Amino acid sequence: MNGINRKRVRGLSVHVILMLGVVISVFPFYWIVVMATNTSQDIYSYPPKLWFGGNLLTNIQHLFDKMDFFGSLFNTVVVAVCTTVLVLFFDSLAAFAFAKYDFPGKKFFFGVLLSMYLLPTQLAIIPQYEIMVRLGWLGTLKALVVPAAANAFGIFWMRQYTTTSVPDELLDAARIEGAGFFRLYWHVVLPCVRPALAFLGIYTFIAAWNDYILPLVMLVNPDRLTLQVALAQLYAGHSTDYSMVMSGVLLSVIPLVLVFTFFARGFIADATKGALR
Amino acid sequence: MDLSRRRFLQAAVLTAATAGATAACGGGSGPGGGKDSKNLALWYWSGGLSDKVVADAKKHFSGVSLKTSVVGGDFKTKLLTGLRAAQSAPDITGVKGEDIASFLPNADRFIDLRTVGADRLVPQYLSWKLKQATTQDGKLIGFPIDIGPCATFYREDLFAQAGLPTDPAKVSAELSTWDDYFKAGVELHKAVPKTFLVNNIGSVFSMIIGQGTQRFIDENNRFIGDQDHIRTAWTTAVKPYTLGIDAKINDNTWNAAISNGALGTEIGAAWHALDISNAAPGTKGNWRVANLPGGPSNLGGSFLAIPATSGNPEEAFKIISWILSPENQARGFTDAALFPTAPAAYKLPALTGGDPFFGGQKTIEIFGPAAEKIPSAYEAPADAAVSAPFFSELTSIEAKGKDPDEAWKDAVAQAKQIAERQGVK
Amino acid sequence: MPPTPVTGPASTGPASGPGTGHARHAGRPAQDRPRGGPGGGSGRHGRRIRPVSAGSRPGPRRRVARHWPQYLAISPYYLIFTVFMLFPVLYTVYLAFQKWDGIGDMHYVGFQQFRFLWDDPIFWLSVRNTLVIWVLSTVPMLCLALVLAVLVNSTKRLTAFYRVALFIPSITSLVAIAIFFGAVFSNNFGLINAILRSVHMSAVPWMSNEWTIKLVIATLMTWQWTGYNAIIYLAGLQAIPSEVYEAARMDGAGPARIFFSITIPLLRPIILFTVVVSTVTGLQSFTEPQVLFGSEAATNPNSGGPGQAGLTTLLYFYHQAFDNNDFGYGAAIVWAFFLLILLIVLVNWRLVQRKERRP
Repeated sequence: MNGINRKRVRGLSVHVILMLGVVISVFPFYWIVVMATNTSQDIYSYPPKLWFGGNLLTNIQHLFDKMDFFGSLFNTVVVAVCTTVLVLFFDSLAAFAFAKYDFPGKKFFFGVLLSMYLLPTQLAIIPQYEIMVRLGWLGTLKALVVPAAANAFGIFWMRQYTTTSVPDELLDAARIEGAGFFRLYWHVVLPCVRPALAFLGIYTFIAAWNDYILPLVMLVNPDRLTLQVALAQLYAGHSTDYSMVMSGVLLSVIPLVLVFTFFARGFIADATKGALR
Repeated sequence: MDLSRRRFLQAAVLTAATAGATAACGGGSGPGGGKDSKNLALWYWSGGLSDKVVADAKKHFSGVSLKTSVVGGDFKTKLLTGLRAAQSAPDITGVKGEDIASFLPNADRFIDLRTVGADRLVPQYLSWKLKQATTQDGKLIGFPIDIGPCATFYREDLFAQAGLPTDPAKVSAELSTWDDYFKAGVELHKAVPKTFLVNNIGSVFSMIIGQGTQRFIDENNRFIGDQDHIRTAWTTAVKPYTLGIDAKINDNTWNAAISNGALGTEIGAAWHALDISNAAPGTKGNWRVANLPGGPSNLGGSFLAIPATSGNPEEAFKIISWILSPENQARGFTDAALFPTAPAAYKLPALTGGDPFFGGQKTIEIFGPAAEKIPSAYEAPADAAVSAPFFSELTSIEAKGKDPDEAWKDAVAQAKQIAERQGVK
Repeated sequence: MPPTPVTGPASTGPASGPGTGHARHAGRPAQDRPRGGPGGGSGRHGRRIRPVSAGSRPGPRRRVARHWPQYLAISPYYLIFTVFMLFPVLYTVYLAFQKWDGIGDMHYVGFQQFRFLWDDPIFWLSVRNTLVIWVLSTVPMLCLALVLAVLVNSTKRLTAFYRVALFIPSITSLVAIAIFFGAVFSNNFGLINAILRSVHMSAVPWMSNEWTIKLVIATLMTWQWTGYNAIIYLAGLQAIPSEVYEAARMDGAGPARIFFSITIPLLRPIILFTVVVSTVTGLQSFTEPQVLFGSEAATNPNSGGPGQAGLTTLLYFYHQAFDNNDFGYGAAIVWAFFLLILLIVLVNWRLVQRKERRP
């Protein structure tokens, strides 16, 4: 009896601690909503309001006066989607070559890939910026999408998955029927690596959505910004109106969190499932 | 978690189409190759121009489409990067007063306004302000939006509580030196403990620098930031900190401080009135304006310029001269607290009237005389960069209680190094 | 952060999740080394098949020619990489030996920029700031993550929920979170000071004290990455076969002993992986102070707040390059800093190697 009780207490305390962690994790989202639905004066006052207010629409109205929210949202979506599609295509193709073929220079190329992990973006950003000036891409979304399309991590991840998840027998069988490299890729490899692609896709999309320094430097044109840059500038310029800024934070965070929670189980399972194999 | 090939393909095609469309739009909206473009882009920062005047300008110049963008963040950085490429550069842009000197060495990136009709307008504007935007060989790259004659903004109600004078003329007379001002601050803080005199000591420092005729670099491109005029300014600026009347605000919380009465005075330029009324609408009527202790000073005051890549410089200057006409400057004063650069505007009712935010006080009586007596100082292109360590070290005193003498030594050492990097002797 | 090859998963949000994936697919996470190190991992993945058509060995040139589809397949990456990464990185080296304001002409100045750097107290201050923030965030982050992972692993209920909830911070935009932290830790209002006030403690000027500024930034990073690291650890924990635990329990080992003599050693490769990733990510903090102290009201932009206490090295780099337009000096800063990161990672690496060799 005693033992069972102790076990139950211990099990309960585990959940209590974990719930505390969960509360800390999600509390900011609650508090962002509180601040976004009250007025700035409420935010400055003591004691602060702890519950949602009725001022959200006014705040959003002010927000839309101060920033081109939908324009920034559109830019962000275009950048994130274009980057994701390019990364998925380029990386799965390159990964197939690396995973299933031997070709001269392969080790060298793959070594280059690995050594790229440590370099900070900032190491390249001044010349990148110069290149964009010369190409006439400065201030355009191309300046964000094209450099991001080369994703070493994606190749690495896809190569791992392709190596283990695409059966050689299947490839051999297709080859006997006369399929070349690209047909193999399209008809055999792609269907096999879908889960890995989905993971890489979500990951790339989130990273592109949240990217800050590259758009900060490249998007010089004030009416063509991504959400992150527009939001940071809103904060710097209009910190007088916290509730308005918070409504912007809220609107920019919501889509991603919703998309994520929708895919979350599969996404995290993918990130962890492999370990069990 | 499954991504079928067909959906993948669909997404790819859709994206490519979207990207293509965006690129096409981008290509179309850029300024054309000629110098008679009908699409002009105007960049300024929030509060840099009167939004009402800008809106009217759009209507007034019906022949062109004027697209305005309010740029947030570091305006100078955005502008500099924007200037690098014709397709991203604006056709008309604001330039902040503290940045104009750093653009002079690259004056060829801008249109000489004298070539597009500024010559005949020049006599109507303050000459010392125009000089700031003039290169040594006489090119005028910016047309002045406003100036920043400085004053003391103070809370009449809190002054009354502390038994200090409340009438602007009396405050001006009794708080005429920095030491008088600080003494009043001590009394104020004693009577109203939550209230401090100054928001940070950097603002005191920049005021005192503005009261002098020399800055950090002289006309011969020599570093003079270690000399007496700066040292004195430094010593004076540190006083509020030692006296415990410094609120030590160096971040966004200024807004809350100003609205909840943590700040009893603000020393700042005329345009600072807008910051105060925006941040603390609830304190309307409690503020007054008095002379700055220690004499007139100027802080900021911006320009409109035309980048060399502008699609239509002639038309751009017409718009500039319309926005900055004395009548529209007077509206800018009412609307955005932009103090006019055309003295003709000083006699217009918009300026001579009382301001309800300042309890009906006629603030022109303070700012007008100050504007005329502003000392003129040479501002080198590297001045802002070289002065930065002084301000950083002042915040170090506030943030970590760093010894002021040590902070001074470090500031001078850093400033010298920056001066060397920037090519100053 | 961008998913560029340079930053890789390290500085990119939820990145490295799959990074460990390669280890897992190899089936032996325990023997995998954290990627990114010199020569790490390459060539150890056997099992590649030879094309069926491979008959007699052709000459080298024909071998290259025959593999054109593979070269074509990898070419997009290497093309973009060469133009937008390799060339720029090398060009940054060149720039570090020039004086250039971004608009005018370049002047060769030899090692002058590096001499300036060596004598520049602000550069060293920024390095110190970066290291302090890194330590303040990484240590609690990884410890907490381990605790959370062990707890989630010990229960069968609600695990899916915990995973999602703990993971969410890592996919949230850094800009949004920085703004949020700025509001919550505000000097003059803000939730934290309101709580202190309600328990009759005096408000703390979080955003104007040298140490609390670093603490706020470190707390932000801890909040964002603890759950993510916990999920990674959880993956590692689940890979440990339950027989190992049972055997230990039968030998009479208590939970604490099991944790320290079984869980930790078996988890070590994954712990090392997270240490390296956190090092690279943590040392590259830029957005946090840039957004937190990005107010226009500040006398000089991007100076890292009061006392420059939040001035990280990458923020200093950005300030010199894009505010002061001292691109040569900026290049010198970023290169020196990169070498520093490399050094720290190499030290980590050596420590790892030595420990692994021990039985």
